[in-house]
Amino acid sequence: MLQLQNVTFTVPALETGEKKAPSEKTIINDVSFTFEKGGFYAITGPNGSGKTTLAKLIMGINTLTEGKIFFNGTDISSLPINERSNAGIVYGFQHPARFKGTTFRDLLSISLGSDDEEKLVNIISRVGVCSMDFLDKPVDSKLSGGEIKKIELATVIARNPKVAIYDEPDTGIDLWTIGPMVALLKREQKENNTTTIVVSHNKTFLEAADTLLLIKKGKIAYTGDLEGAMPMLEDLSVCAFDDLCQGEDNAQCYR
Amino acid sequence: MTYAKEKIMLNAIDKKVLKEVADLEGLPKGAYNIRKNGKLEGREVSANINIETNEKGDGIIIDIKPGTVNESVHIPVILSQAGLHDVVYNTFIIGEGSDVTIVAGCGIHCGSNESEGHSGIHEFHIKAGAKVKYVEKHIAIGEGSGKRILNPTTKVFMEENAQAQMELTQLGGVDEAKRFNEAWIGAGSVLLITERVMTEKEQSAESKNEITLAGTDSKTNIVSRSVIKGSSSQDFYVNLTAKARCYGHIECDAIIMDNGINQTIPALRALHPDAELTHEASIGKIANDQLMKLMTLGLNYDQAVNRIIQGFLR
Repeated sequence: MLQLQNVTFTVPALETGEKKAPSEKTIINDVSFTFEKGGFYAITGPNGSGKTTLAKLIMGINTLTEGKIFFNGTDISSLPINERSNAGIVYGFQHPARFKGTTFRDLLSISLGSDDEEKLVNIISRVGVCSMDFLDKPVDSKLSGGEIKKIELATVIARNPKVAIYDEPDTGIDLWTIGPMVALLKREQKENNTTTIVVSHNKTFLEAADTLLLIKKGKIAYTGDLEGAMPMLEDLSVCAFDDLCQGEDNAQCYR
Repeated sequence: MTYAKEKIMLNAIDKKVLKEVADLEGLPKGAYNIRKNGKLEGREVSANINIETNEKGDGIIIDIKPGTVNESVHIPVILSQAGLHDVVYNTFIIGEGSDVTIVAGCGIHCGSNESEGHSGIHEFHIKAGAKVKYVEKHIAIGEGSGKRILNPTTKVFMEENAQAQMELTQLGGVDEAKRFNEAWIGAGSVLLITERVMTEKEQSAESKNEITLAGTDSKTNIVSRSVIKGSSSQDFYVNLTAKARCYGHIECDAIIMDNGINQTIPALRALHPDAELTHEASIGKIANDQLMKLMTLGLNYDQAVNRIIQGFLR
């Protein structure tokens, strides 16, 4: 359904040190994977492993260096963000944009393609985690981290996506909301057959997923269920500081 | 004194201008004074709101009786005469304990290559406990190539425990604008100013503000939102002076598009140890993360830009 074929993403990187020629840094390295329709996927891995980059490559926010992405058989590798969105892929940002003057109502109306009050209220009820009085709040720096993440979630769901990508949806969310949030994503997955991809470190999301992708140094290190991933997750091998490692009990442990 | 309504003849251009500057489909309800091409076009007073021409004959005095609530005054100005530069001095006396809305604004329709301009000096005397909302829109339309110039001046004197909310808007069409806002805020009074300016092409706009927090526990919040398109320029200056225990905040944001240029100069002066003054200012292009967000919701680049600007200038 959503097929990543030898997906690679590199960025120019200046070597540290003096006057060295610019080189390239590979963030995502030759990743191939197929997300099946209606599946619930969790992407996890150490900080800096490339999880967000991979999610942004699917949305078109980052442009592929090499490889292809197919969506329902169509090559979408060169489509701009909005065309991928119109094809049914929507992305919830880890750090949602804050506007000046633009309200939650504006974002929700754009997402829904309608400013009909009843439809807006229906979406808010469906999402559940957003209070109705958020509607006319500006989506600006006055919102708390949790509030803006709930708004972000609602704008994704309002679009009735075929593929919903959520980048760390639990950042800033209180403990009591994480359960209902997972239940909401599961319900959307079941009722609307939404292919759901969640980038997360949170065990609740990892447990909710049918399939887990463990990313390490820009490559898929594991795919399968959580049980199978546990030895790797618990192992130091997922630590980003393994080059420096002197053992977990050492005061020098950077984890 | 009531002027007979049948004398007022609004042509299609007048109606268009009135719609733009004052959201009026025809003549307003309540008190009004319509000035067209430097002359009185029509006037209506109410039991509580009197409007009369001042002694010099260069403007009007709008006198709102103490305790007047939920009433409005419309004082639009229409300019459509080539080469005319109209200057007007209006005085508003807002009586004690009143709560009113004043809708002002000037619309220029330029149909020739001669310039047209309006300089409106508005002086407000806001008495104790009064509450006023002042809405001022400036627009310029028409096919003519003449310069459209608007130089508004606003002087506000607030007694104690008064509230004033001023919304000053200029969204396109005006070639040159030089604004000057001056305010003196008494004890316990609150002044909120929101200025929204959009310039394009070769237009220029300047706004100078001298705000004095004079009385104990006076407050002000000055918000400026600028969008600078084309090769236009905007300069925004505020001097916020505190002479008592008070609170003041300045927030200026400018979005630069194309080759626009902007200067934003907020200045805070605390002449009292208990003054609390803050400011935030930003100049830049539309934030990339905002564009990305709207594009993930299906808008193309240009649509996303428009929506962001629309919200910003709201």
